[in-house]
Amino acid sequence: MDLSGIFDALLTIVGSPYHMSLLLLAVPIGMFFGAIPGLGGKLGVVLVIPFVFGMDATAGALFLIAMHAVVHTGGSVPSILFGVPGTGPDAATIVDGLPMTRKGEAGRALGAAFGASGFGGVIGGLFILALLPLLRPIVLQFSPAEFFLLALFGITLIAMLSGESLVKGLMVGFFGLMMAFVNLDPQTGTQRYTFDLLFLWDGIDIIAAVLGIFAIPEMIALGAAGGAMARVDKAAASHGRADVMRGIGDVFRHWRLSIRTSLIGAFIGMIPGLGGDAASWICYGHAVQSSKTPERFGKGAVEGVIAPETANNSKEGGSLLPTLFFAVPGSSGMAILLGAFVMLGIQPGPAIALTGMEIVWILIWGLMLANILAVMMFILVAPALGYLSYVRGNLLIPFVLILTFLGAFLAVRAWENMVLLAALGTIGYFLKKYDWPRPPFVIGLILGPIAEDSYHKAMSLWGPAFLLRPGALIMIGLIVLSIGFYVYQQVTNRRKSIWLSEDDH
Amino acid sequence: MTIKAILNGRVGTALVMLLIFMSMSLMALGFTDKARLMPLLVGIPGILLGIVQLTSEIRQSARRSADEADSDALSKAERNMFLWVFIFFFGLLGFGFIYAAPIVVFAFMYAGKKESLLVALISAAGTWAVLFGFFERVMEIPLFKGLIVEWMLN
Repeated sequence: MDLSGIFDALLTIVGSPYHMSLLLLAVPIGMFFGAIPGLGGKLGVVLVIPFVFGMDATAGALFLIAMHAVVHTGGSVPSILFGVPGTGPDAATIVDGLPMTRKGEAGRALGAAFGASGFGGVIGGLFILALLPLLRPIVLQFSPAEFFLLALFGITLIAMLSGESLVKGLMVGFFGLMMAFVNLDPQTGTQRYTFDLLFLWDGIDIIAAVLGIFAIPEMIALGAAGGAMARVDKAAASHGRADVMRGIGDVFRHWRLSIRTSLIGAFIGMIPGLGGDAASWICYGHAVQSSKTPERFGKGAVEGVIAPETANNSKEGGSLLPTLFFAVPGSSGMAILLGAFVMLGIQPGPAIALTGMEIVWILIWGLMLANILAVMMFILVAPALGYLSYVRGNLLIPFVLILTFLGAFLAVRAWENMVLLAALGTIGYFLKKYDWPRPPFVIGLILGPIAEDSYHKAMSLWGPAFLLRPGALIMIGLIVLSIGFYVYQQVTNRRKSIWLSEDDH
Repeated sequence: MTIKAILNGRVGTALVMLLIFMSMSLMALGFTDKARLMPLLVGIPGILLGIVQLTSEIRQSARRSADEADSDALSKAERNMFLWVFIFFFGLLGFGFIYAAPIVVFAFMYAGKKESLLVALISAAGTWAVLFGFFERVMEIPLFKGLIVEWMLN
């Protein structure tokens, strides 16, 4: 590995006031696009492409990657404060972030989210930097068989996220899977549940579905209950800078989890087609699964904020690998970046390993530096953001509702998405009111199409023997281990509660 | 066990979920073999789980007292909020973001939540400024004009 080349790239950025000022400009723009539901990083990059077009390739690419890298850092803010995800992958942060806000821990939750995002972004970058030569052949080994089993592994996490009722959790997860089948069947082109509506041919939009299932019910509940998002007195709550720092400290207190979820996120990011939504939910499921007290999750556990946020940002580092070296974008955001890189004169593909490693190192460093800058900027504004959780619901609800409908519309520029939002919002409210866990819905919706498509591809390529491929066997082992661990946890918890009740008597 | 005790929100939600699985599975029977494989693979276990959940909810409802059953029903405040969400929805759907959003924001604050006229007016003006000024003018993102407005313009 060319160490001098790697550090020269870092010097190219930090030694140039021009490059540093570009980073300082790109970071708040990226965070802004992430924080507004429906805008997102893709639209942000598309909108600034005309402005970077005249720049030299290094500066333009650095600006775009810095902007793209911190989108999910911004997206965590509305997720935590209002239960409205800024971007799709930020939905997992709601599950524990919003209960923390309700408990008056908005500052701590924001601190944990920013710290985790920065941590994940840096670890994701370092992961790619260090393991680049080793990871390329592994990523190339991923076939539809491994894709299918990885999606199946994600689906088994539904059980971990089911809370107190496994039946309800499975039903909601299966409901999400059923909704994922609303589309033109990718194999035969058969219309499934589309009712001849063109906008359903591409499937149900994840942003609209997530906004419907989470944001609308939260606003109805807030309006009905009155008061503010935070349910505790402002004086008793934590939203000062010390609390934000405490949240950042939580990331390092749970350093093992932070590192694990960063690495999982970076690895998932490397696999084209799996997407960032899957990374955050798989890491959230992992946090629940590996916790000694899984019952705290969904009620405001800080680890539930750390895990998806580290994954959200670390996957961006991971997805750089297929984007730059195989010209296969790791995510839809990366697909737009890929186009922008080509416009700037950077030619992604295997040849970049021979002729363009300098720009690769610059992009990886840019990604890491942008994450660090984003954390520093957010520390300054986080206490003020925390106060938003004390704004009266009457003042907040109309804006959040407008933003939610706007987000649903802008996601695919279709008014029909607003109808979908209202319908899923109604269902979501009753699920919330009667204690049905909502996160499994999103897992089903995200992983359903991946599982189905790769299953059919694997069957066409190898028949049922696809299950005997080495990678598939490893994935099957992981699934069995995951289910076994869940059963073990359930049995142990049941025994514990029986012992405790016997002791009480 | 009275019908009223059984027919509550909990049972209703479980019933709706079961009906969703049943209807989607039934519809899947009309697809081609490959297209119906996954929907049936998920839909049939969904139906079985739905029956288990519905039975469990009915049994629990029968055991629940009248007060507990009443607490499960939608309160007036909840019905009111549902009404407002649908006013926002139909307003935006009919008249689009630029025209309807400031009006529904004003109506929600002034008529719905009894905020002062000044607060409601400032909020409505702010909403319009962000939607029209920022999204349409600065960002050049065309927002939905509304079905009724589009029909009138055409």
